[in-house]
Amino acid sequence: MKLLRPSSLDELDGGVPLAGGTEVVPLLRDGLLAADVLVDVGAVVPAGIDGTRVGAGTTLAAIAADAQVPAALREACTLAASPQLRNMGTVAGNLLQATRCWYWRLDYPCRLHGGDRCHARDGEHREHAIFANDFCASAHPSDVAAALLALDAAVHTNRRAFPIAELYRLPTEDDRRTTTLEVGELILELEVPAADSSCYLKAMDRKRWAFPLVGVAAARIGGTARVALAGVAPVPWLLEGSLDDATPLPGTAYKLEIAKALHRRALTTLG
Amino acid sequence: MARLIRTEKEVEGRYEEVWLLVDEDSLDRWPAGPLTVVGRAAARLDGPARARGEATFTADVRLPGMLHAAVLRSPFARARLRRLDLDAARTAPGVRAVVGPDELGGLTRECGFEGAPVAAVCADTYEQARSALADARVEWDVLEPLLDADEAVSRGELLSTREYERGDVARGLAEADSVVESTYRTQSVLHNALETHQSVCRWVGDTLEVYTSTQYVWGVRAEVAEAFHLPADRVRVVCEYMGGGFGAKNGAGDYTLVAAELARRAGRPVRCALTRREEHLCAGNRNATVQRLVAGARADGTLTALAGDYVNAVGFSGWTAMTEGPMQMLYACPNVRTATYGAKLNLPPMKAFRAPGFVEGTFGLECLLDELAAKLDLDPLELRRRNHTAADPRDERSYSSKHLAECYRRAERHWQRRHDVRARSTESVKRGVGMASQIWFGGGGPPSYAWVRVGADARATVVTATQDIGTGTRTTLAQIAAEELGFPLDRVSVTLGDTAHGPYSTLSAGSSTTPSMGPAARAAAADAKRQILDLATQRYGGELRIEHGELVAGDGTRRPLDELLGLLGEGQILGTGARGPNPTGLEVLTFGVQVAEVAVDVETGEVSVERIAAIHDVGRVINPLAASSQVEGGIIQGIGHTLSEQRLVDPADGRVLTRTLDAYKLPTIADVPEIVCELIDVPDEQLTNLGSKGLGEPPIVPVAAAIANAIRDATGADVRSLPITRGEMLLALAEAREREKREAPAAV
Repeated sequence: MKLLRPSSLDELDGGVPLAGGTEVVPLLRDGLLAADVLVDVGAVVPAGIDGTRVGAGTTLAAIAADAQVPAALREACTLAASPQLRNMGTVAGNLLQATRCWYWRLDYPCRLHGGDRCHARDGEHREHAIFANDFCASAHPSDVAAALLALDAAVHTNRRAFPIAELYRLPTEDDRRTTTLEVGELILELEVPAADSSCYLKAMDRKRWAFPLVGVAAARIGGTARVALAGVAPVPWLLEGSLDDATPLPGTAYKLEIAKALHRRALTTLG
Repeated sequence: MARLIRTEKEVEGRYEEVWLLVDEDSLDRWPAGPLTVVGRAAARLDGPARARGEATFTADVRLPGMLHAAVLRSPFARARLRRLDLDAARTAPGVRAVVGPDELGGLTRECGFEGAPVAAVCADTYEQARSALADARVEWDVLEPLLDADEAVSRGELLSTREYERGDVARGLAEADSVVESTYRTQSVLHNALETHQSVCRWVGDTLEVYTSTQYVWGVRAEVAEAFHLPADRVRVVCEYMGGGFGAKNGAGDYTLVAAELARRAGRPVRCALTRREEHLCAGNRNATVQRLVAGARADGTLTALAGDYVNAVGFSGWTAMTEGPMQMLYACPNVRTATYGAKLNLPPMKAFRAPGFVEGTFGLECLLDELAAKLDLDPLELRRRNHTAADPRDERSYSSKHLAECYRRAERHWQRRHDVRARSTESVKRGVGMASQIWFGGGGPPSYAWVRVGADARATVVTATQDIGTGTRTTLAQIAAEELGFPLDRVSVTLGDTAHGPYSTLSAGSSTTPSMGPAARAAAADAKRQILDLATQRYGGELRIEHGELVAGDGTRRPLDELLGLLGEGQILGTGARGPNPTGLEVLTFGVQVAEVAVDVETGEVSVERIAAIHDVGRVINPLAASSQVEGGIIQGIGHTLSEQRLVDPADGRVLTRTLDAYKLPTIADVPEIVCELIDVPDEQLTNLGSKGLGEPPIVPVAAAIANAIRDATGADVRSLPITRGEMLLALAEAREREKREAPAAV
């Protein structure tokens, strides 16, 4: 395996991008990601916060500590992972992390891996989805994505700009991917609008350092309140209808109850 | 004088009748309470070495020319090897030796659990060894696994069955004013020692050196000697420091045999170390249980009957821990019946885990007692007091000592807090207090030996081939020897952890290291002191004693000890000591009580443990600092067991799903409540020259029940299944609401 350290975007030529490494390294070690060439993008992806613009290479720790950032995003960063991981992990890496579904992580021939069934639906699925879980019941683990979705952030890549909702897609029979990034496309920056008020509430299996069982982000910008959830669907989930539209599995019914409680509390916090 | 006795030996509730070589224990007892060194807080003597990274753990052992082993394991819960071609592995880059099934005990073609070892290779690097295994051609006949413990019982797939009865349970239930019946479930949890299971083996001539992370260097020596048909003296086992065991490192383990055999074949040292993923797969676990329990009592709370059917989901092999122990032993109930089934399943084998059986059984029994208290409208602490027993209810044997009543008395001020705690409840967060009693073994026993060497520098070294599982054994033994010798603590050191350097010691399991080794260390120190004082009398005349490292004559004259000992030159004084027998006919047990305070968010199911007060009776406390560390560690591990830890397997194929530390949720420091530790610290006058029992296990025993009972106090919900995840908590709350609706008086 080769490690390249390009100094400008023009030098990019294939390979697997590596920033904080907190997701890529474990995936490589477990054989879930194959890479002949790793590309350290630290020097070519912007880091730092300037008003509403957040560099893709900014660490979660830096975002958590910056008062310019809306509360929902700060709180999502604070509640994500452990201090060590937040010091290494970048915001774009966090958006692009894979599910923690144990069947996927153990390389079961599941639908996300191109197979013909979802092992979690019939198996152990207490951490799994309550929305859009018919084809694949995996849950998306990003706290940060839920916050950015509620804040209606925009993603700037080396090729285009689009609302963060368009970064994700539900896996289908024909296409099992959960993101829309093209090969060679890199997230460079996020545009995070200021919110009148926002918050992120998270339920975990322990007090700290766990992926969300349910995370609820809420933001009020102008007259509009948006709510998005983490840990409830194969992708970060923008709540457009009612939580009662959820389709929990037998082992995830409790998540709906938590989601409702956190949703109520988040709206109260928004005021 | 040494003599042979026929006696009952107990390790973690398993008894066997054995011949034992014992020495008499004729020392005077020390007075109760803190002495000069013993009973006073001492920082770990090896703390700086550990902090500086100078302490050598097995994971640090790097021998010249050392190779690295990787093990081919069954990827299926139940499968038969149809074909195994290791030729490609044999010729892969860096590979130095290969061993297959039928060539080494422990490696197998008939795999009864995922992770069962099949073959192994060693190579210049671990990565080469792993990659060579990936080249092996393996074909399997995959068979249907048996995964459900109740189904195993109904099919008769049992590793063992135990039945027990005293009195007449039917009559006891008939006499009861109130009967409660509940089913409790506990999950499988993993030891997760910081240092994974591992060994480094090297052949030196015809002697085998084994560096290993173990709780029992002598046990590993015996097992390895037998496996390789060697006289025991040709196996040397070394464990200078170890990164935890919790019961999972009592035996040699297949990794040790693999390293030894590959080292023999390759002619070079070999390291075989489990990865964290292998550790989660097949390094042992606390088995799951199902407990169907009944209790009956009179209106005043007097127990009339207890009965339990216990199913232990042991796994493919292992032993059936004494889950029924607390029901038989904790209370004065005349009518008790238990049946315990050890289910044989296609799951990784259990291994002892910090008070095996009693942790699980105490959860069931002590929750049942609180359900009974609620039904009888009695105070739970009072209910326990009313059923206190002065003698072992199984056979009326007396206890060597028991201060459970005093534990209850001291628990009162923590128990009284419940009114204030409950009053701090809000609409969404309910608070409550719960308690549970603790009973467990922990008396230790012979044989165990120590030597104390004193040189011309007036320093003493305790030499013994015990091991420090991590509890601070070096410091404890040094304190005991220093106290007996009259030396300051900084003049005593301890060497341990090497079967070639020092006498035999028992295993560090069953809370036994201090009660087994401590008396031997004291006896050896006393022997050395006798010799020193004998020399002192020859040199100065009259009777002398040693205080604070000085010789004190009858008239009060003080002389530095090195004035006398300096005369030794290169000579040494060697004291020897042995652990005496346990008191004949008496039951040696540990007792305690814990009071937990919790906050339950009834909308999100979040349980927060806010405070646990732990009061334990373990005889004399040698080092209060090390003791409180054991209490804190046991409680934290217990909180993980109660709230967040569970090893999950796929219900269809039996493969382990929680293999990494993000999926398997140990508590973090943020989950740790305020812990209040109180030890009774009254020496057991019947037990050895120290009167000390063990403390490694007692603190974890009552944690789950105390928390579950606090949750009931806070919310009225019965949680009967561990871990109490948010899902479990919300389910219990919903059931409680349903019950309330059902039982509410009809509207008028």
